[in-house]
Amino acid sequence: MASMNDVVQSLKPAGGFEFDLCARNNMLKQMGLKAPKATSTGTTIVGLVYKDGVVLGADTRATGDTTVEDKNCEKIHYIAPNVYCCGAGTAADTENTTALISSQLELHRLATGRHSRVVTALTLLKRMLFRYQGHVSAALVLGGVDLNGPHLYTIYPHGSTDELPYVTMGSGSLAAMGVFEAGWKENMSEDEAVDLVAAAIRAGIFNDLGSGSNVDVTIIRGVDDVEVRRGYQILNPRPYARVRPNDLTRGTTTILSETRTPIHAGHVEYTNEDAVDMETSPVESGGPSSS
Amino acid sequence: MSSIGTGYDLSSTTYSPDGRVFQVEYASKAVDNSGTAVGIRVSDGVVFGVEKLLISPMLLHGSNRRVSTIGRHIGVASSGLVADARALINRGNQEANAWKSTYGEEISVKVLTERLASFAQVYTLYGGVRPFGCALLLGSWTEAAGPQLYMIQPSGEAYGYFGVAVGKGKAACKTDIEKLDLESMTCEEAVVEIAKMIHSVHDSDKDKEYELELSWVCRASGGRHQLVPAELRDSALAIATAESSDDDSSSDDD
Amino acid sequence: MEYPELKKGEVDLGTSIMGVAFDGGVVIGADSRTTTGSYIANRVSDKLTQLADNIYCCRSGSAADTQAVAEYVKFHLAMHKEEIGGEPKVSVAARVVGSMVYNNKDSLMAGIIIAGWDEVDGGSVHIVPLGGGVVKMPFAIGGSGSTYIYGWVDDNYKEGMTRDECIEFVRNGLALAMARDGSSGGLIRMAVIDKDGVERMMIPGNELPRFFDK
Repeated sequence: MASMNDVVQSLKPAGGFEFDLCARNNMLKQMGLKAPKATSTGTTIVGLVYKDGVVLGADTRATGDTTVEDKNCEKIHYIAPNVYCCGAGTAADTENTTALISSQLELHRLATGRHSRVVTALTLLKRMLFRYQGHVSAALVLGGVDLNGPHLYTIYPHGSTDELPYVTMGSGSLAAMGVFEAGWKENMSEDEAVDLVAAAIRAGIFNDLGSGSNVDVTIIRGVDDVEVRRGYQILNPRPYARVRPNDLTRGTTTILSETRTPIHAGHVEYTNEDAVDMETSPVESGGPSSS
Repeated sequence: MSSIGTGYDLSSTTYSPDGRVFQVEYASKAVDNSGTAVGIRVSDGVVFGVEKLLISPMLLHGSNRRVSTIGRHIGVASSGLVADARALINRGNQEANAWKSTYGEEISVKVLTERLASFAQVYTLYGGVRPFGCALLLGSWTEAAGPQLYMIQPSGEAYGYFGVAVGKGKAACKTDIEKLDLESMTCEEAVVEIAKMIHSVHDSDKDKEYELELSWVCRASGGRHQLVPAELRDSALAIATAESSDDDSSSDDD
Repeated sequence: MEYPELKKGEVDLGTSIMGVAFDGGVVIGADSRTTTGSYIANRVSDKLTQLADNIYCCRSGSAADTQAVAEYVKFHLAMHKEEIGGEPKVSVAARVVGSMVYNNKDSLMAGIIIAGWDEVDGGSVHIVPLGGGVVKMPFAIGGSGSTYIYGWVDDNYKEGMTRDECIEFVRNGLALAMARDGSSGGLIRMAVIDKDGVERMMIPGNELPRFFDK
C-alpha cells in the first residue's frame, strides 16, 4: 500500500528538464499545427588568433523565423575580463549559458585569486552542453588570453570542441570561412587581424540571409587589455532619417472643452515626527547582540 | 588500567587528554588475547600459520577456519574476534569483486590492504560503532611482484612485512622469525618453521586443544592461496612435536 | 534496442582510424576530418587523444560523445594510477572505456581504439566498437573509412612487423581509406608509443602516399 507520503513524494517535481509534453507537441505537429519558432541568431560569428591576441567578430541580426527581430543585438558575450564568447543558435540559450558560465568563473576567481583560463571556460561550457545532449542550442566561438597565451575554440551544441587558429560559426560560417581561408596568414598584426575578421563578418552579412546589420568586434590583447568595439562597422544605416516634428509649441492643439473630476484617494498624511537617525557608528564589541 | 573510570574510554569519538583513543587500544587487546597467527614472506611465496584454539572438543576438525581466501589469489590469516574478522574479509571479497569487474584483472594485495585499512579506520571515528577487534595478515604471490605480506590492525594502520606474528605468542614468534634467513628460505621450509613456532608458543596449561592451520600462496600453487597439503602439514607437525618433547626431556634432566 | 545514431546537426568524426602493435610498442593513426553534415568543421582535427602517459585512444563516431568518454576515462585512469602507484595497463584502460560505452550504449555513438604500452603486455591494441565490447587484437581499424580497407589490411598485415613497417602499414592503410571515404580526409596524424614514451608524427595532405592514381 502506498502511504500518503509516497503519493506526495511522487507528485513532487524532479529536477531538470521535463520532456513529457514532447509527445503531445509531436501529435499537434502531425495534425498540422505550426509551432512558434524561438528567436535565433541565424548568425555569422568568427574568431582569429593573431600575433599577440585574439579577435572575435559577429554580425548583429537576430531573427524569428523569417522576421528580423532585432537589427542591432549583441552576440559577443562577456565571459571573464580576459575571455569573450560569440554565440550562435537560440538567442536565449547562448545568452544564458554564457552568463551562467561567466558567473561560475567569477566565483572561481574569487575562490582561487587567479585569473580565469580559457580552457576552464571551455570545459565548463562543453560539460554543460554535453549534459543537455544538444537540447541547449548554443554554438559558440570562445576566445581569450591567459597565462598560456591566446586561445581560440569552437563549441558545438552537443558539447564537442575544436581548437584552431581561425574559426567561424553560424549560418554565415561558410561565407566567412571562405574569407579566412583566402586571407589568413601566420603571425598577423592586430590591424590585419581586425580587417580580416570584419571582412569575414561582412561576407556573412551580405551573403547569408540569417545574418545582417553591423559588424561587432572584440579584441583581446592580454589579461587587462581588451577592446570591445560595438558597432565597429555600421553597414546598413537607415537610408533616410526619420522626420519627427519637434517644434510643437504649447497650445498647438486647440482645447475645445474641459472637464475636471477630483480623485478620492482617501486620507494620506506624511509625517516624520518619530524618525530616528540610522545607526552608523561601529558597534563596540561586534556581533548583533551587543546592545 | 588507568583509563577505566575516567570516561574517556567509553567512545572512540573522544580522545583522552594525553591523546589516546582507548576503544582502539581495547580492540588491540582482543587481538593480543587470541590464538597466535604467523605470516612469513620467503623467496617463493608467503606462508601462514594459525594456532586455532578449540573451544569445544566436539568441533569438527577443519571447521571454523581462521585462514581464508580473498578472490583466489590473496591469503588471509586472522586473529582476534572471529566474527569481526569475517566481516572485514567479507568486505575484502566485495572490494576484490568490484575491482575485477571494473578493471578485468585481480586486485593487488597492496591495494586491497589499503582499502581494507581505510575501511577499518572509519570504525575508529564514530560513535555508535566500535573498532574491529581483529588483525588480518594478507599475502600474495605474483610473477610480477613476487611475494607480498601485509598486516592490518584494528586502528586502521597497515604495514608490509617480511614476517609478522600476532596474538598471544607474538613476542616469541617474532624472535623466532628474526632468526630465519627469509631471502633464501622456501615455502616448504617455512611451513616447518611455522609449525615449530606455533607449537612452541601454544600454552597447553592455559588453553586446551588447538588445531594448527597452515596455508600458503606461492609459485608452486600458481599464485593461488590454498591449504598446505595434508602430508606436508602432518610431517611438519610431527617435527614440531618431536622437537618440543626433546626440549621437555632435556629440561627434565636438569 | 536500436543503435544510437547521430542527432541532427551533431558533429561527426566520419573517420579512418588504425592501431597496430609491434614488438615493444604500438603505432596508431587517424585522418583529420571532422564534419557536420556535408560541411568540414575541422580539416586538421586531432583524433588521437591521450588517456594516460603510456596510453592513447583513436576516436570515431560522435565528436561530443567520444570527447566526453575520453575525458571521463582520463580522470578515472589518473585516480587508478594514484591507487596502484604505477602506470595503468592498456587492458585496464580498454576495460574502462568498454564498460563506459556498454553502460551508456543507448546514448553514445562511439567506436574507439585503445592502444599503448605497459610493463606487463608491452605494446597492445584493443578495440571498443559501438555496443561496448572489448576485443584485444594484433591490429585494429575503425571509423567509416575502415570498411574500404578490410581486404587490404588482411592482405598486407604480417606478423612480427618492425616499428617502421608498422608506420608504413598505418600510413598506407589510412591513405587508401581517406581516398575512398568522403567522410575521411585531410592529413594523417600518427603516434608511436613504446617504453620510452610517445612520438607524434604528421603527414600533410599533399604528401599522402598515392597508389594507382600516381
